[in-house]
Parts: sequence; structure tokens; C-alpha cells
Amino acid sequence: MAPDDTSPRPPVPEGRPVETRPVETRPVETRPITPLPSDGRPGDAKSGSSGAAAAGSENRPVQARTRRRRRARIIAPVRRGLGLRTRLTLTYGLGAALLAAVMSITTFGLTRENLMTQREESSVARAVANAARIASQLPNGAGSVAVEKVLTGLPTPEGAQPVLHYQGQWYATNTIDFGERAIPDSLKTMVDGGQPARMRATYLDDPYLVTGVPIPSLGAEYYEGVSLADLQRTLDGLAISLLGASALTTLAGGLVGFWASRRVFAPLLDVGQAAEAIAGGRLDTRLPVGGDPDLDLIAEPFNEMAQALEDRIERDARFASEVSHELRSPLMTLAATVEVLENSSDEMPERARTALVLLSADVDRLQQLVEDLLEISRFDVGAIKLHLEEVLVAEMVIQAVSVLGGGGVPVRYDPDVSDVVVRVDKRRFGRVIANLLDNAERYAGGATAITLELADDKVQIAVEDRGNGVPEDERDIIFDRFSRGSEGGNRAADTGVGLGLALIDEHVRLHGGRVWVEDRRDGESGARFVVELPIVEPPKDDTATEAPE
Amino acid sequence: MGTRILTVEDDERIRTAVKMALEDEGWVVEEADTGEEALQAFTRNPADVVLIDIMLPGIDGFDVCRSIRRASDVPIVMVTARADTHDVVAGLEAGADDYLTKPFAPKELSARIRALLRRARTADPTVTHLRFGDLEIVPDEGVVLRDGAEVHLTKTEFRLLVELASSPGRVFSREVLLERVWGYGYFGDGRLVDVHVRRLRMKVEADPANPRHVITVRGLGYKLQP
Repeated sequence: MAPDDTSPRPPVPEGRPVETRPVETRPVETRPITPLPSDGRPGDAKSGSSGAAAAGSENRPVQARTRRRRRARIIAPVRRGLGLRTRLTLTYGLGAALLAAVMSITTFGLTRENLMTQREESSVARAVANAARIASQLPNGAGSVAVEKVLTGLPTPEGAQPVLHYQGQWYATNTIDFGERAIPDSLKTMVDGGQPARMRATYLDDPYLVTGVPIPSLGAEYYEGVSLADLQRTLDGLAISLLGASALTTLAGGLVGFWASRRVFAPLLDVGQAAEAIAGGRLDTRLPVGGDPDLDLIAEPFNEMAQALEDRIERDARFASEVSHELRSPLMTLAATVEVLENSSDEMPERARTALVLLSADVDRLQQLVEDLLEISRFDVGAIKLHLEEVLVAEMVIQAVSVLGGGGVPVRYDPDVSDVVVRVDKRRFGRVIANLLDNAERYAGGATAITLELADDKVQIAVEDRGNGVPEDERDIIFDRFSRGSEGGNRAADTGVGLGLALIDEHVRLHGGRVWVEDRRDGESGARFVVELPIVEPPKDDTATEAPE
Repeated sequence: MGTRILTVEDDERIRTAVKMALEDEGWVVEEADTGEEALQAFTRNPADVVLIDIMLPGIDGFDVCRSIRRASDVPIVMVTARADTHDVVAGLEAGADDYLTKPFAPKELSARIRALLRRARTADPTVTHLRFGDLEIVPDEGVVLRDGAEVHLTKTEFRLLVELASSPGRVFSREVLLERVWGYGYFGDGRLVDVHVRRLRMKVEADPANPRHVITVRGLGYKLQP
């Protein structure tokens, strides 16, 4: 068994016709087209062309558009939960929030500490200075008037409130704002014991810093209260600013995350779009390469995959097309010779005549198959060119039926369908109708009726038969190539080739319509094949439509 | 002397088989396997119908078609690989009257040849002499004159013109013309009509770009301006 890539060809028999031009020079895939058995090994090599079967389970031909799909191989477990982009955005946002919180708390703490220490130091220094001043200015045994005079004369910046405990009496410059009652008892006790001290306290809902300094020479204690309200206001303001800044940072972090995730994701979305385009048949779609070395890690293998896929599909299509082309010359000869034989069949013995009938039928069948294969491979390589014309759909269907000699099949439609215009390739669409009738003939004993009806901006052409109908689970696959459902396999005298419905499907789709099969509406046994086509706006007058060239 | 058909085909087997099938129809078949040989054979002894495969080694079918058409109005059937390529239009423009795609049934070919031969003879006996401005048609003599000078039309072009002239001013759809001139039905190839009308205009119109006799009616077909 030769390795696959050398494309071994079966030995050329002697006396071959001279003119087999095209395929000879090109390497052609000659793997068997039979479906692989389930163990993944190619089928019995003897059944394929000699020596051409691939030896391994790798490198399988892309086949089975028509077969049911094998289960796909997934390379990593599925992760459930939030989307990647949401997660990235959240991560960025949370990170920013955390960072902002730490910064804010630190800033706030440091600022507060700093301001407090400053305030405390200045107020302690002042209190001590003021106490010294009182000690020097106040004569021992002075009266209350002298005391108040001295107190009033003390320098009290920053709204400091002096309070003096002298000879059991409390003196203050402003007893309403700040007096004896504002001084905490613990502080009094401490200072009373000859120990200068300071303390934060709250009086009338205002925070104060109270400093107490004993004046031993007078047997007095001097207290000074400084309002911390302004400091508190500053800190409140700072806290609000920091909170706002943190919120903004968090938001900005989230936005950056969102943007970054979009940036990171954009190439992936391109990959998605490219894959979608390829799945939709644009096999030449590629990703740009060379812009970003990181992205090339995705783009290059992707492009290689797309190229491999395109090559493979093209090779398959070309193979089918070349085989069909090659078959046409011998078929031509066969068809002509069979006809010559038929012309003199009267002179033949009975056995020869019977053989000729068989030969003739199968030459016809072969010819049909080759024609269908050629047509379908043209679809595969996208080489179909439609000659679109605007035609009256009812007239076209009637003509198609009469050309086929199917005079017995009635065409029914309401008057509103009679001037419905569709844009079709008339000859190809004639084939669609012919194939539908042929299908009914083959598998259901012939069509019983063709009906045309409007459905919104579409027109439905339905071919009904009196067969057994198509089971629910086969309604899609009968439009696959070479599949004919359970009904098809049962026919002993079946001469179909299994491409008719697949061709209908391709043709109708190319015309922007769709085809499906359903049960007959009147409840009787039988299938109803429906072709739906978009309607062209009916011409307003005789000269409104565009003439195709 | 029976009807003589020249088949130009490089595949010997096909040629032989087609020859036998056509001989069964009672026609005399002459064979050529290259374009050069075909032209020599035709010059030596012109056939009544020529069948040309356009895929020929050497001079291709289009050139053979053009060369024969320069010398004669003999009906030509062209054999192409595919119906939806430009080959069909190119072949018709090279002067072919009709075409077939490979593989075709010999019965189909015989039907086409018979239609061509019929076309060569038919003329509506009720119409004898027609005049449209500078254009003059004498159906029973098979003659068309423009400004008094004879215009050489192929038999298909002549049939097409006479068909249009049978009801001046009436619009003929492509389908009707295909049926009456070529013997095709509703699903015939409209390009046959379009290309032949184009060729006809080149001959009967003073200015083929602005036809005054053979008018296109958009979406409907053609008519002969009375």
C-alpha cells in the first residue's frame, strides 16, 4: 500500500482512448468515497480503487456533509459563570477600589495625625506660656477682678479659651462657650495633682483640646481649651474628597478593565467572525497576520486551518467535477451507440433486445447522474451563474408540468397568484419542478397536484403525492446527497440516483428561497413538498420590468 | 442526394457513434477531427449542416465557426461543455445557430438538425413582399434589401426577421420566438434570441446601437417597428 500523499493511480489499462486531457497532469485524490466504519479505519481497501486507500486513521477525507455529525472533540472543560469580559472588568474595578481605599485611609490617617500633633504642640506651648504669664502677672492674693483682667489680657489665638482655677474659684473669659463644666474631671484630678496634661473632650457637641497646667506659685491651675471644630471640618472635607476620589478611581479602573477586555477581546471577535464567514461558505476568509506577535499565535494556526479546510473542500469538489467531466465523453459514445442499437432492435433476438433495454435504461440513469453530479459540483465550487429572468410563476409551473408530459397533474392556484412574478433562472427552475415531480413519481406513485399560494411576500409552490409521506425524523436528511430515506431504499425498481432533492435544495437556496417537506394538509396520507420563493413586486405597467440580457 | 452533415469532433469514438446515429436518420455524415480538416472539407464540398465541438486541438471551434460563417449561411450547431458559461454566447456570436451541451442524446441532436433544416426552407406563403422604410423583405425569395442593396442573412436570422415582420408592431416574447424559430419550448435559452437579434441588427440597421427596425421592449421581448 503506497503512502497517501503520492496519489497513486490505478494502472492505466491498455488501449485507453487518446484524449483524456485534463486529469492526467494533476494529482488527484483517489480515496474511496465510502463512509468510514465506526472504528475509524478506512473500509476494506479492496472495495476502493486499487492501492489508493489511506493507511491511517489520520488524514481522513472531509466527508459526511451529508452524514450525521460525529461528536466534536473539546480540548478543555467548560467553565461556567460570568463572561470573560465581565470578569476582567470586575477584576480591574475591584483592584482599583482596593488600591483607592488603601491610599485614602493612609492619607486620611497621616493628615489627621499630622494636624492633631501640630495643634496639640502649639496649644501646649501656649498654655504653658500663658500659665507662666499668669504666674508673673497675677499678684499673690489678687481678687477676682484682677484675675479676670489678667485672663482677658492673655493672648488667645486660634480661639483658645482660658480657664483658671484659683483659690477654689473658676474664672473664664467666656463661660458660655467654654467654662469649668467643659473640663473633664479626670483632667482636673491630674492637674490638681501637679501634673500638666492635655485631653480631647467634647463640649456642647464641639470637639475641644483641653490643656491643663498647674501654677504651683499661686496654688492655681490654668486650663486652656482650643476648639477642634475647624480641624474636624477640614478632616471631614478631606474624607469626602478621598471617598469621591476613591469612587472615581474604582469607576476608572472598571472602565479601563472594560476597555482592556474589549481590546484583548477584539481579535477574538475577529476570529469568531472569520469562523462564521467560513462556516457560511466564504472559505477564502483569513485573519490579518504580522501586526502583533501575540495575536499571530492565534491568527496563524487559524489561517492554516482555514487554508487546509479550503484546500480539502476544493479538492473534493474538483475531484467530483473532474470525474464527471471525464465521464462525459464515454457517456456520449454510450448514448449514441445505444441509440444506434435501438434503431435496429427489431432485427435482434429476444435476449439481446432485453439486454439492450436494460443497457439503455442504465445509460440514461448514468447520464442523469453525471449531469446531476456536474451540477452539484458546480455549486460546490461556486461556479453557478444564474440567468435570472422575471417570469409569471404560475405560467412557469404550468409550462414545466406540460414539458414533462405530466398532463395528469393538475396545477391549482387562486386568481391572486396568476400575476405573481418571481425572479428565477427559468431553465434551472424547470429542473426543480421536474425533480419534484420525478421524486413523487419514484417514491409515491406520482404527484396528485401542484398548488400555488401566497404567503406574505413569498409564493409557495407545493407538490403533493399520495405515498406514505416522509417520517418526521427524515424530513431534513432526505435533502442530503445520496440519501433517500427509508421509503427510497424499499423500491426494487428504483432508478433514482439520490441527488434530485439535494439539487432542488441547492437551486432553491440559490434563488433566495427554501424547500421543505410536510404532511398533506387534507389529512390524507402523502407528502407535500413546498418550495418557497420571494416575490418580485408586480410591474405597474407593461414596460416596468427590467429585461435580462 | 441526401442532406449532408459535417461533424467536427476530436474524440474518435464520439465521432463514430454520432455519425452512426445520424446516418440512421438517413443523412450523409462527413467527419473531421481538427478545425483545419473541417475547413478544408467544407471548402471542398459545403455541407447542409455543420456540427462543431468547440473544444478542438489547434484552431478552436469558435474560429472554425467564424471562418465557415464568413463564407456561408449554412446552419451551424455548436457543442459546448456547459450551458452556463460564456462559451454559449461566444459561440452564438461567432455565428452558430444553435447549441447543445455534452453529453447530449443523439435524438436531441437530430431534433435540432431537423429544426434547422426546416428553418432553411420555410416561408409563410401568404406574405410576399414587405417594406419597412429602408428595409425590404421578399420572403418567398429569401431576400432582404436595405436601401436597395441585398443584405446577407443566415437562415436563422432570416426566419427571425420574417417572424417579427409577420405582425409588425406586435411584441414577440423570447419564448414565442424560441418556439417559432428554433422549435424550443418555454424553457429554451433566451440568449439564442438575444444574440441573434444583436446579429440581425448589425446587418439590417443603419445604426445598430440605435435600432429603428428591430426594437427591444423591456421585460417583454422584441418587435418590428412598422
